[in-house]
Amino acid sequence: MRTNRREFLKTTLGSSAVLSLGATVPGFLRAAAADATDDKETILVIVQLSGGNDGLNTVVPFSDPVYRGSRPTLAIPTADVLKINDELGFHPSARGLADLLEDNSLAIVQGVGYDNPNRSHFESMDIWHTCQRKSDTRTTGWLGRYLDGAQADKSGVSMAIHLGHEKQPFALTSVAVSVPSISSLESFRLNDGGNKDVRSTISKLATSAPEDRDSILGFLQSTTAVALKASQRVAQASRDYKTPVSYPESDLATKLRTVAQLIDSRLGTRVYYVTLDGFDTHSQQPTAHAVLLSQLGGAVSSFIKDIHHHGHGERVAVLAFSEFGRRVQENASEGTDHGAAAPMFLAGSKVRAGLIGEHPRLTDLEDGDLKFHTDFRQVYATVLESWLGWPSQSVLGDSFEPIEAFKA
Amino acid sequence: MKNTAIDPTWAWTAYRPTDEQPWNRTRAAHLLRRAGFGASSTEIDAAVAQDPAEVVASLVAPDLDAEFERESDAFATTILGSGNPKQLSAWWSYVMLRTPHPLLEKTTLFWHGHFATSAEKVEDAGAMYRQNRLFRQYALGDFDKLTHAISRDPAMLIYLDSTTNRKARPNENFARELMELFCLGEGNYSEKDIQELARCFTGWEIRRGSFRFNRFQHDTGAKSVLGHSGSMPEGESIDVVLDQSAAPQFIVRKLIRYFMFDEPAASDELVEPLAKELREHAWDIGHVVRRILTSQLFYSEHVVGRKVRSPVDLVVGLLRTLDGSTNAYQLGDDLHLLGQGLFYPPNVKGWDGGRAWINSSTLLGRANVIGQIIRDEKTRFAGGNLNEYFSRLDADSAIAIVDRLVELTLAVQPPQTVKEQLVEVINRPGDRSERIAEAIHALSTIPEFQVM
Repeated sequence: MRTNRREFLKTTLGSSAVLSLGATVPGFLRAAAADATDDKETILVIVQLSGGNDGLNTVVPFSDPVYRGSRPTLAIPTADVLKINDELGFHPSARGLADLLEDNSLAIVQGVGYDNPNRSHFESMDIWHTCQRKSDTRTTGWLGRYLDGAQADKSGVSMAIHLGHEKQPFALTSVAVSVPSISSLESFRLNDGGNKDVRSTISKLATSAPEDRDSILGFLQSTTAVALKASQRVAQASRDYKTPVSYPESDLATKLRTVAQLIDSRLGTRVYYVTLDGFDTHSQQPTAHAVLLSQLGGAVSSFIKDIHHHGHGERVAVLAFSEFGRRVQENASEGTDHGAAAPMFLAGSKVRAGLIGEHPRLTDLEDGDLKFHTDFRQVYATVLESWLGWPSQSVLGDSFEPIEAFKA
Repeated sequence: MKNTAIDPTWAWTAYRPTDEQPWNRTRAAHLLRRAGFGASSTEIDAAVAQDPAEVVASLVAPDLDAEFERESDAFATTILGSGNPKQLSAWWSYVMLRTPHPLLEKTTLFWHGHFATSAEKVEDAGAMYRQNRLFRQYALGDFDKLTHAISRDPAMLIYLDSTTNRKARPNENFARELMELFCLGEGNYSEKDIQELARCFTGWEIRRGSFRFNRFQHDTGAKSVLGHSGSMPEGESIDVVLDQSAAPQFIVRKLIRYFMFDEPAASDELVEPLAKELREHAWDIGHVVRRILTSQLFYSEHVVGRKVRSPVDLVVGLLRTLDGSTNAYQLGDDLHLLGQGLFYPPNVKGWDGGRAWINSSTLLGRANVIGQIIRDEKTRFAGGNLNEYFSRLDADSAIAIVDRLVELTLAVQPPQTVKEQLVEVINRPGDRSERIAEAIHALSTIPEFQVM
């Protein structure tokens, strides 16, 4: 947040902004309900795979002898692969992804990356989040820039929500919009110990600060205001959610179930952001990677079922990415080191299911890594333009050729 | 605010009390917040009675309190007996709350965030504890020795998947993080340097919980790292990394951020004088920390109120400020909830700090945790309740209590209306200690409370 409080209030809460808790809640909620949109707007759910997902063992080129040669201990046996075609198949633990593909609800965008790849987790993640390099001044993320534009006519609505206990992703950082981070619905409320006086004092304090604030205090002020507001709305919104879909037991599944619950509450939120960490498999990769792919596939396929059941299937798309793939040649610790190009995944009934683009060639490497042929910003551009209906150039800083990822 | 505008010569000149900038309770409280976890009214008075440079000198080179050390070791032994690394955070919370050497503790925490290692993956309480002792041993000492020691530290090598490292196909993880996160910073080496440095660490292994050099797996061939060629045995490659001019700059910049201000990143001009001194003083961290805490810059508007409180600064700080004692197990859990689980940093980069501490969940969490802790039956303030505590500070009226609270806990003055509302809260009928607790709970939600 690099804005003062007055601007914040104007852009986010509207001119008659009152942070209402306690006695004034009903009026506030009425206003929120009026702001919340109908069931037509599309929703994007980002699933970040942190640590660098081994794309080669996710979408496996099982018939390629170079693959087997490079992965003496890690190659997936041909018999175990969940075949997509005669050359490619899913890791056996990615059953959920295979099911989605079967249901015509998964697009696999192959060979995604960027020029001059950086192999630091943190730097590469920042590149994916901001679409800018280290030499640029990076203050906002790609979704943050979308929010800055899209939020303007949506006062009172949290256009994006981050679910998770990790720090908020840089991708969501904007100039003027504070995005709530929710670690769990249960803990996302102000505990007043049953004392209403405390609550009313706190809400008064939250509005009483003067407006000429330097940046850190202004940031704190706006984040506090958003926290109090969003916690009220989420508490109201999340009651009585029922679903016949049984999600697997994992953090990601719990988070996506919460996303489904919030979507069904019609908050007007367009972007949800969740993370699955642990993909940095330098050693003992087989077990760890299998668990992660099983969690990813299980959680996303349950989520897609759930939103269909609640009638939102046609307006929700999931986008999964990782900061890089991994080295083609395995290392000596039954693991893989940091690499470059890897697949991205799009899930939902509106995606153009199947493989998009070629699998990168294992005989044409750059420093031992797969070469990309599709810039990740092409995928972002596609999602912005074709899914969120937002001009991508101002968000991405340049014009990128879209890919065919959504049904017409 | 651009700190390129800060004149380095002015910045690093020692602060001397003057009529315009007297050594008073406000400045002493600032020093004790940053060089530790906040101080009680009595401790502030004691600091004001001394020369500021003397206060810093005894913080940087403390005479260890043998009785406290025994107490702390005994608690650690009990916890290690349980074998549960989660409980170690109770031990460390306790030490932070009670230590007579707060700067040593604060700097130990700095190294935990710098050489970040998580028990989530290591799953060995003993190894985590021994690593913590290593940080404590070198916290205000020799970074060169610390770096060599951490490169053989079992917890670190388990965390970075480097318990086996064979010459045929070396694992790059430790070599990468040594340069990117521990010594140089991203952009100060090439991918080729990483691959060559990884060869230097082949044969470095952990066997049955201890470091072992396996000469059969060590690549004895010539390597080329950062322009230096040779076989580089026995950690010589670490010296090559530390010889880079980027190394002292990287460490000094991080120390400035930790002890002075979150943003913007310190300029090269500001960093360079201390980086030079760090090199001249043979990597003596204590020297640089002393220079930072005694500088004119430290007491200036560029620093006061310019750091977002970490969960430790927030919660341990509030308790220490009010002579508070509480359930250390609960405290350890609370820090975890707020994003600073001790022994559980989020990843190898440690805690980002600054604005990254703050989001809507952590802000609600901060208020909830403080509201809970100050009302907890196990929490005592100098052995008594809040009403008794403030009476002892001669603060009996609501106005006097609020003035004391603001003076002790805030680095930045809050708006007058905030103080008025807190006075109103305390003046409400009912149990006085509960009213003061409500006021502190409400105070903990204002933006000024999140900075120091």
